[in-house]
Amino acid sequence: MNFDKDLDARGLNCPLPVLRAKKALNDMQSGQVLRIVATDPGSSKDFETFCKQTGNELLSQSAADREFTFYMKRK
Amino acid sequence: MSDLTPAQLVPYVTGGAFALAFIFGAVANKTHFCTMGAVSDWVNMGDLNRMRMWLVAIAVALLGSSALVVAGVVDLSKSIYPGPNFTWLSYVVGGLLFGVGMTLGSGCGSKTLIRLGAGNLKSLVVYVFIGLAAYMTLRGLLGAFRVGVLEKAAITLPVGQDLPSLLGLNRAILATLIGAALLAFAYASKEFRANFDYSLGGVVTGLVVVGGWYVSGHLGRVAEDPNTLQEAFVATNSGRMESFSFVSPLAYTLEYLMLWTDKSKIITYGIASAAGVIAGSAAYALATRTFRWEGFRDAEDTANHIVGGLLMGFGGVTALGCTIGQAISGISTLALGSILTFLSIVAGSAAAMKYQYWRVSRED
Repeated sequence: MNFDKDLDARGLNCPLPVLRAKKALNDMQSGQVLRIVATDPGSSKDFETFCKQTGNELLSQSAADREFTFYMKRK
Repeated sequence: MSDLTPAQLVPYVTGGAFALAFIFGAVANKTHFCTMGAVSDWVNMGDLNRMRMWLVAIAVALLGSSALVVAGVVDLSKSIYPGPNFTWLSYVVGGLLFGVGMTLGSGCGSKTLIRLGAGNLKSLVVYVFIGLAAYMTLRGLLGAFRVGVLEKAAITLPVGQDLPSLLGLNRAILATLIGAALLAFAYASKEFRANFDYSLGGVVTGLVVVGGWYVSGHLGRVAEDPNTLQEAFVATNSGRMESFSFVSPLAYTLEYLMLWTDKSKIITYGIASAAGVIAGSAAYALATRTFRWEGFRDAEDTANHIVGGLLMGFGGVTALGCTIGQAISGISTLALGSILTFLSIVAGSAAAMKYQYWRVSRED
């Protein structure tokens, strides 16, 4: 999947991945896609809640090699 | 149990604490019960569901504990929380610092144990620094500051600081009103009602605290210790009846391991409960294949967790408890200091998150 910005949140735990995603999205234009790679097992639930609350769209999420990858479309 | 000696009661108390903590560790891992996460969801996303989970835990603990009191099974005034010495500055300062610490350290004391059980090695470091600072605050350098400065700011009340004594109201009625109000607030949300995990995490955590009071305050109570001829609660570090709290038990665990050959040291209720949470979380993580090793990202991440652990250790002992110890076990006694500590922890954590976002915003 194509993306416009990449956020490396590996090694960070709650609440930092969400705070960094929030900041990254603030710097992007509507419709652009942010890719986030995280290792916190709680990040999946956190980003689901984040998107539901903020209106940004969680396009996909996947887990492989102890990493979680999220694609998020800015509202 | 009344025919058993205090020494014979110890395995029942520590075994009960371990079993209850094991359940809490597994369920908290499954349901993502996290008090820091509750503040984060609220402050950073405007989502209150995990805060509702925390409030359900408080409500269930309050209602269940009050039922034990009404039934004459336990006497909560024998715990550390509702005494007449209202150390207001300690509650506020300790709570605020604990809140900042849990934000920097990826979670409170219980979350540290849950993360550790699931393979997070950062939490092992946080554990050690919580224990170190807690011990220094109990008996060391920081303890002198706690007692000599912070605890000087205290009000000695004519009665206990629990709301029923302060307001002259019936405990059962007050607990029912407050508990019902908290449950009504939580379950007013359709989304909260629709997700079973929210209820599971809140209800089980509350019940575990009630069970903790039963184990320590009923099973572990000796009306007259043959050695002292006084009432005793066996296998507790405080000498009082205890329920779950996750700051000083981390210090006592380190002490126990370091003084292993000192036969006067035993596995206590607190030590067993800390081990139980780790074991329960690990069991869940292994059973669901979600166990994964995690380490530090960089020097800043390491520093944040060390400072977070130190602040939680100092703040937790100073405030007489953490997000479970004061904010659930303590509030279940309706102690005013517990409510003040709960609010201070939330305020400290929220302020730390605002600071973190400000820092993140300044980065390129």
